[in-house]
Amino acid sequence: MILELKNIEKSFGEKKVLTDVSFKAEGGKAFGLLGRNGAGKTTSIRILMNVFPANRGQVLIDGEPIDYNKIGIGYLPEERGLYPKKIIIDQLTYFAELKGMSRKEAVKAIDYWLGRLGMTEYRNKKLETLSKGNQQKIQLITALAHDPDIVILDEPFSGLDPVNAMLLKDVVKEQIAKGKIVLFSSHQMSYIEEFCDSIAILNNGIVALHGDLHDIKRDYPRDRLVVKTETPDAIVADFGSSCKVLNGGELMIRLGSPSEKKAVMTRIVENYDVDEVRVFEPSLNDIFVEVAGDGAKEDEK
Amino acid sequence: MNQFGKILKFELKNYAKNKAFVGVTIFLMVIIAAVMFFPRITVLFEKEDASDTPADLSVMLVKAEDPAQADMVKETFATAFTEYDVQITEKEIGAIKERITSGNAECAFVMNGATSFTYYVDNLSMYDMNPDIATGVLQQIYQMNAMIGGGMSQEDAAGVMSIQIDAEVESLGKDQMQNFFYTYIMIFALYMVILLYGQMVAMSVATEKSSRAMELLITSAKPINMMFGKVLAACTAGLIQLVAIFGSALLFYNMNKSYWGENEIIDSIFNIPPELFVYMLIFFLLGFLIYAFLYGAISSTVSKLEDINTAVQPVTYLFLFGFMVVMFSMSSGSVDNVLMQICSYLPFTSPMAMFTRIAMSTVPWYEIAISIGILIASTFGIGILSAKIYRVGVLMYGTSPKIGSIIKAVWKA
Repeated sequence: MILELKNIEKSFGEKKVLTDVSFKAEGGKAFGLLGRNGAGKTTSIRILMNVFPANRGQVLIDGEPIDYNKIGIGYLPEERGLYPKKIIIDQLTYFAELKGMSRKEAVKAIDYWLGRLGMTEYRNKKLETLSKGNQQKIQLITALAHDPDIVILDEPFSGLDPVNAMLLKDVVKEQIAKGKIVLFSSHQMSYIEEFCDSIAILNNGIVALHGDLHDIKRDYPRDRLVVKTETPDAIVADFGSSCKVLNGGELMIRLGSPSEKKAVMTRIVENYDVDEVRVFEPSLNDIFVEVAGDGAKEDEK
Repeated sequence: MNQFGKILKFELKNYAKNKAFVGVTIFLMVIIAAVMFFPRITVLFEKEDASDTPADLSVMLVKAEDPAQADMVKETFATAFTEYDVQITEKEIGAIKERITSGNAECAFVMNGATSFTYYVDNLSMYDMNPDIATGVLQQIYQMNAMIGGGMSQEDAAGVMSIQIDAEVESLGKDQMQNFFYTYIMIFALYMVILLYGQMVAMSVATEKSSRAMELLITSAKPINMMFGKVLAACTAGLIQLVAIFGSALLFYNMNKSYWGENEIIDSIFNIPPELFVYMLIFFLLGFLIYAFLYGAISSTVSKLEDINTAVQPVTYLFLFGFMVVMFSMSSGSVDNVLMQICSYLPFTSPMAMFTRIAMSTVPWYEIAISIGILIASTFGIGILSAKIYRVGVLMYGTSPKIGSIIKAVWKA
C-alpha cells in the first residue's frame, strides 16, 4: 500500500501554510516527516487525516483518492491529552468505538495492548493518577488499538525513559513488520535514522528534501573533508577560511568542488602529520540543519 | 449515525456520573417534596395548637375623646381585627407611644373625630394593612350613621351596606390569570435550564480542548457528530432532570391533594391543557437546542477554561434580553405588544415569546406554524454552523479569536 500526498496547498486566511507539498510513504516501511516548528508538519498530518480539506491537491492510496471509511488511521498527536478524570479502560474503549470498533472488540484489543505495554494494573484507574510516561503509553494505545492501516506518530519518544523507549521501538518495528504505513514526525533525528527508510523535510510549507534516506545521504555532495590531527594550526593557516575547527578538535575543510577531493587529500597527507583524512558523510541532523536551518532560506515566521 | 450514538451515550454517562448533577437533582426533589408535604405537616401542628390554651394576642389600643365613639370603635375593630386584643385606653399620646415602643402594645388608633385617626406602630411593615382595614370599617360606620340619621331603619341601612354584586366573568380567549403561573414556570425553567446546561455544554467542549483530548477527538469523530452528540446528551440530561423534578412534584402533590384544598394556583399548574403542554415541549426543546449549540460553538474557540464566561456572555445577554421582554410583558398583561410580536419570530427569543403569547393570549395557528418553522430551520442551521465553528475553533489555540476571524475561517473552511 502506498500513501501519497500530491500537490497539497493550504492557507489559513492570508497565511500560506503549505505550498505544493508532495510525498510518498510505503507500507511495511517507516516514513519520517521532518521540519522545524511551524514548518507545516501538523497541518500536513491533519489534511492527511481529513480534519480539514486542502485548498488544492489530493491524498491518494495506491493512486486512488483515500476512502476514510476503509482506511483506518491511528494518530498519536504531539499535544498529548485524554480525559484526566476518567477511568482508563472507559476512555480507551470510547476512542476505539469512535474509530468504528464494537464495544467487545474494543475491550479485547485494549486489554491486549495494556498487557503488551505492561499497563494492565492501571486498567481501572483514573488517567490523572498515572505518571507522564505512563499516560503517554495509554495514549499510544488510542493510536494502535483499532489496528489501523496508517499509524501516525508525532514525537512518540518524547517523555519516555530508555526502557519505555525500547518498548516503543519494538512496538513500532512490529507495526512496520505487519506491513503498515508508519509515519513518524520527530525532532529526534537519531530515531528517524534508526527507523525511517525515507523522509521528507518540510521548510516553510515547502518540501525541501524528499526521498530514500540512504540515497539522500549517498547523493549528498562529497565536498567536505574531515581531518584528524595533533597539529591543526598549520593546516588552518594553509587553508584559511575554507577550514573550520569542529567541536571534537577535528578540522573540516570545504572543497571548491567534489572533484578536488583527491588532490586536496594528497596535499594534506604529504605536507602534514595527520592521523586520519576522510570524506565528510552528513548525519540526518546535519542534513536537516542545512536544509531547514536559518542559513538554508529565510527563517519561517 | 453510529458514531453519533456512541458520543451521545458517552456524554450521557458523564452526566450520570457527575456528582454535582445528580446531587442537585436529588436536592431539588427533596425541596419539592418538602413544599408539597408542607400543608400536611402544618395540619399536624395546628391540631396540637388547637388543644393548647389560646395564644396571647397582641394588644391594639384605641383612644377616642367621646366614650360612645370609643366603645363603638372597639366593638367594630374587635370583629375586624380578630388577631388583636383590642383595648380602650384613656392615656395621653406620649404614654401610648411609650407602650408601643416598649413592646407592651403593638399598635394604637387614636381617633381625631368620626372620620379621622392617627395610627401608631413601632416598625411599619410593608404588609401592614391595619390602617386600610380601619379606614374601611370607619367609612362603613360613617355611612351607616348617615343613613340612619337620614331616616333609614338600621336593618335597611345594614342591608344597603352589605349588598352583594353577583359577577360572572367569561373570557372568550385565554384566561391570563389561569395561565400565568405555568407560563411563568415554563419560562423560568427554560431560563434555568438554558443557562445551566448551556454552561455545561460549554464546559465540556472547553475541557476537552484544554486537556488536548480534542486533538484525538477531532481526528476520530466528525465535528457534526461531536456537536450534536454533546448537545443532545445535555438536552436529554436536562429533560430527565426536569421530568424527575416535575414528576416528583406531581406525585407528591397527588399524595397530599386533600391537604392543599382549593388552591387555584397549584390547580392551574397541574391542570395545564394538553395542547399547551405539547407547545411547551416543542418550544422548550428547540429553545434549549439552539442555545446549547451556540454555547458549544463559542466555547470551542476558547483556549483556557477561565475565558469561557467572557466568551459566552454575548449569548447570555441575548437570552436575557428575550427573558426580560417576556417577563415585563407578562407582568404588564399586554403579551401581544409589538416587541413581543417581533420576538415571537426571532429564533433566539421565540421559544419564550411565542409560548407566552400562545398561553396568555390568542394567536392564529398560522403565526404559530411560521414561528415554529423558523425556529426548527434556525435550530438545524445553527447546529450545522456550530459544528463548523467547532471544527475550526477547537484547533485554534492562544488568545480567543475575534468573531470576525471565526466567521472568515468558517466561511473558507
